[in-house]
Amino acid sequence: MSEIHVFSVSELNRAAKATLEQALGNLWVRGEISNLAVASSGHAYFTLVDGTSEISAVRFRSRLPLPVTELTDGVEVLVYGRLTIYEPRGRYQLVVTAIQPAGLGAQQIAFEQLKAKLHQEGLFDPGHKLPLPTFPRRVGVVTSPTGAALRDIVSVLERRWPLVELILLPASVQGAGAAAEVVDALDRAVRFRVEGAPLDVVIVTRGGGSAEDLSPFNDERVARALHACSIPTISAVGHEIDLTIADLVADRRAPTPSSAAELLAPDREEIAARALSVARSVAHRAHASLRSADERLHRHIQSYVLRVPLRRTELLDQRLDHSVGSLCRGLGGRWSETATALAAHAQTIDLSDPHRPLERGYSLTFVQGNASPLRDSTGVQRGATIETRLWRGKLGSEVKEVDQADVHR
Amino acid sequence: MSIDEDMAQLELIAKRLEEPNVPFEETIRLFEEGTAVAKRIRTQLNEAKLRIRRAVENAQGVLSLEEFDLE
Repeated sequence: MSEIHVFSVSELNRAAKATLEQALGNLWVRGEISNLAVASSGHAYFTLVDGTSEISAVRFRSRLPLPVTELTDGVEVLVYGRLTIYEPRGRYQLVVTAIQPAGLGAQQIAFEQLKAKLHQEGLFDPGHKLPLPTFPRRVGVVTSPTGAALRDIVSVLERRWPLVELILLPASVQGAGAAAEVVDALDRAVRFRVEGAPLDVVIVTRGGGSAEDLSPFNDERVARALHACSIPTISAVGHEIDLTIADLVADRRAPTPSSAAELLAPDREEIAARALSVARSVAHRAHASLRSADERLHRHIQSYVLRVPLRRTELLDQRLDHSVGSLCRGLGGRWSETATALAAHAQTIDLSDPHRPLERGYSLTFVQGNASPLRDSTGVQRGATIETRLWRGKLGSEVKEVDQADVHR
Repeated sequence: MSIDEDMAQLELIAKRLEEPNVPFEETIRLFEEGTAVAKRIRTQLNEAKLRIRRAVENAQGVLSLEEFDLE
């Protein structure tokens, strides 16, 4: 008969510990925290419960990846650790090495699953994305009427491009029911007509918040409504680092509400500068063609009719001295840079004004009701009423004689 | 005329003036029109004021707009 092995208490605990660690080792456990106590050493002791059972747990300070203050009684958590036995007391417990709120974990998993599903269905397909209009006029904004996002968008547009009308489509952007409200607001955006015209673009937006706050923008219904939206959409949710499903589905993603406003429309300074440059080329072209016409005319007059007392250079000097022409006044706004650029080019542009020769005594003559000035007396009837445009004012006359001699040829 | 139409118009005028042999009267007309359009663009950029209205839907599902004051 073999001897029965009698364990000492410590021997038993050691053997049980070895068996337990070998059998289960490191593992994940979901449970609710209770009886949390943080010792002066910084170690946190708590019980993990699930309604019918409980287990002791300890998280040693040196291992804490998260601050202890994030843990409170009643929070459901996912913990990772090693199941072991504390030998001196013969108590088995979990030595926790990582801990995170269970809600977040579940949300993260749901996010990844939805993302994979929608990706497979083609909801993020670049080929489906609509281009944004260059100069939008009617802009829908789906957001909270009291939120920071709306204020940010308004302040950027007021400065950069106030040539739009914002149509606020109110929706709560966090909490239960928010996803459904965003879907409804998007539906309204599509149906909406402003003086018969549809919206040009719609922004779906909210400011920063917790993962829970942003969750309506990870909702499948919102994703599908964005995908189905027949007008271009911009998604601007939270901060740069917050990437939501809505961001992936929308036609464009803006990292913040302010940048959505920048993405939406050009800057008026930019457009003013572009208009100025085109207007300048109009002026230069007009000037070049008028100067050659003017020079031809001048040659004829000098050789056949008159002797003009001023030399060409003096005439040109006078013209250069003239103050800013109407074109320049047209473009000089209150934007300092544009005004400076204009001042620099004012004189050049002024050269091209076709009315300048009138100041020097030339005139334009029109048969009444005719838009083009007369170049030839042929076809003008005696007794016809003509209008002569001078540098200042006009004259109405009646034709007494028509001489068809070709003076200039 | 909206600003995009005005910008397109201005660019069209510039293009027309680049063509050879544009008649004298046409040049005058284009220059004057270009000046007027540029002035209009300036006015629009300078004087535009952002407007905000709020969409409301009644029980019959009819949408309408009401003034919205951001405060």
